[in-house]
Amino acid sequence: MRILRIAQEGARALAGNKLRTFFMMAGTIVGIAALTVILAVGKGTEKKVMKRVNAFGTRAIMVTAGGGKGFSPPQEGITTLRLEDAEAVRTQIGGVDVVGSFAVKRGMSIKAGVNQVQITVMAVAPEWHDAWEWYAADGDPITAEDNSTMARVCLLGTLSASDLFGSQNPIGEDIQIGNARFRVKGILELRGTSPTGEEFDRRIVIPLTTGMRRVFNQDYITNIRVKVRDSRQIESIAGEIRQLLHERHHIAPPKEDDFAIFSAADIAKMARGISGTLTYLLAALAGLSLLVGGIVLMNILLISVGERKKEIGLRRALGATQGDIFRQFLMESLSVTIIGMVAGSVLGWAVSIAMARLTQSPVVISWEPFALALAFALVVGVFFGVQPARRAARLRPVEALR
Amino acid sequence: MIELAQIDKTYTAGTVQTPVLKGISFKIEAGEYVAIMGASGTGKSTLMNILGCLDKPTGGHYRLDDIDMVNLDDDALSHLRNGKIGFVFQQFHLLDRATALRNVMLPLIYANEYSDDARQRAEKAMAAVGLTDRMTYKPSQLSGGQQQRVAIARALITNPAILLADEPTGNLDSTSGAEVMAIFQRLHRDGRTIIVVTHDRAVAEHANRIIVLKDGMVAEDQPVAQPRNAEAEARALAEKEASK
Repeated sequence: MRILRIAQEGARALAGNKLRTFFMMAGTIVGIAALTVILAVGKGTEKKVMKRVNAFGTRAIMVTAGGGKGFSPPQEGITTLRLEDAEAVRTQIGGVDVVGSFAVKRGMSIKAGVNQVQITVMAVAPEWHDAWEWYAADGDPITAEDNSTMARVCLLGTLSASDLFGSQNPIGEDIQIGNARFRVKGILELRGTSPTGEEFDRRIVIPLTTGMRRVFNQDYITNIRVKVRDSRQIESIAGEIRQLLHERHHIAPPKEDDFAIFSAADIAKMARGISGTLTYLLAALAGLSLLVGGIVLMNILLISVGERKKEIGLRRALGATQGDIFRQFLMESLSVTIIGMVAGSVLGWAVSIAMARLTQSPVVISWEPFALALAFALVVGVFFGVQPARRAARLRPVEALR
Repeated sequence: MIELAQIDKTYTAGTVQTPVLKGISFKIEAGEYVAIMGASGTGKSTLMNILGCLDKPTGGHYRLDDIDMVNLDDDALSHLRNGKIGFVFQQFHLLDRATALRNVMLPLIYANEYSDDARQRAEKAMAAVGLTDRMTYKPSQLSGGQQQRVAIARALITNPAILLADEPTGNLDSTSGAEVMAIFQRLHRDGRTIIVVTHDRAVAEHANRIIVLKDGMVAEDQPVAQPRNAEAEARALAEKEASK
């Protein structure tokens, strides 16, 4: 095929002047590499966000006693959040599926035989399991009966279990929380890391009533965990809960909230955090280097049209049509951007993998950046190649040969 | 075979019109060896460009193998050049980075039908100019005379109707020049139509007919009674050099 022979001529011209070809490629390589890294990091971030959101619960809203803007654990000594608040949320807010109240105390001294560790204890209402979608992997959950009888039973997170009992099966064993003995009735499912980086699996769960009266000795709770029916309504329901609690706690501006509300949507925002801004910055950089690379490519091609006047004139004399010359030059520019794209993708992958190793943040390698890069390469190659190719084709053979 | 009738060529720059060719007419039959002579500024190069279908006249008709090129568009002229004309330039015009063989094959790239035996044809053309042992050399590794012989092989590969040479010895020493002229004479003996454009009477006298241009017109059109023998000249020059 004539077109293949012409393409081959273009390839020979590129191979014949490797330094020039490299400079033509440099912009594309950098741009595509940056693009690949951005997409890999972006996807990695999204994966991390989804992991966080899933760990928190996709349909979950958390009300925490104490104000403050950050997603912080409940402040000690805040007594304003009460079981009546939880009941009001359950009965007065639409779209709510489950409400599970609980009270948390951090760093409680726990003993099992000779082992003693500091662990966060959560005293939970029976609905807590459903509200968190977090059940007993082994043994039994905290029940309504446990709460009504103020039973001294507990469930261990998997890390708490190994902290206290090593590889031994803890179910049926006793532990000591403060001065009270508790029987281990189950092991909680694995849950991973909290949005604040806390180990969900290093926890001990006891009945809410037992906790409030016998362990913490308090008449207030620290958290209300709400599960909504439809995750799309999560932000509006969070707003309604805020309003309800404002009324119940008689809070009006400028008085500050004595509680904080976080939803799955807030967690996602927080997890994206700075990486979102960084992604936009990198994307702008990639776009810029593709643009600059394209302009450099066009300029080098234009210069080379001038330098190669004699070659063009000779080819025309030997029978090349204007179309042949146009196609050869366009082919050269396209080859440059496509080879640059492949090199850029490989470089981008290498950088992504290195970044994943160094920062230990997830990076997802996928085919999409490659497809996008190919599209970019074609667009840049054609857009910046047409003008020089047209100029080459329009050279009059008589003048070109002079 | 070649028929020029009242060819005019006038260059226009703004309002200034410069007539370069004024009513050139002649015929060249197949198998002729013609030299077109003239001092610089007589329209020699312009005529050569028109004969080579690189440029169109502003008036008159030029028939090549019964095709009137005046009516053809750019693409058709390109195909005509590819199929019917073999160019030999003063500056050789070889691609620096390609081997001699690739240079010879270059016109075939632009042929409508790419011949499967392109390589064999190129090797044959290289043999015809005596460069069988230089196929894979780059132009920079060849002498001027050898480069011009590669260019002749390139001109021959499409088996063109005419071989059109523009000052083919202008960049060569006298021995290499004589060798190139000897190749032309040999090709002529084999029946090829050759037109050499030159300012040098000694070069022109190798041809069988000389057309002299003056002020854009044909001043003289004479057969050469006794063309010079390039082969003998080349041999003599080579012997002289060897005895030095």
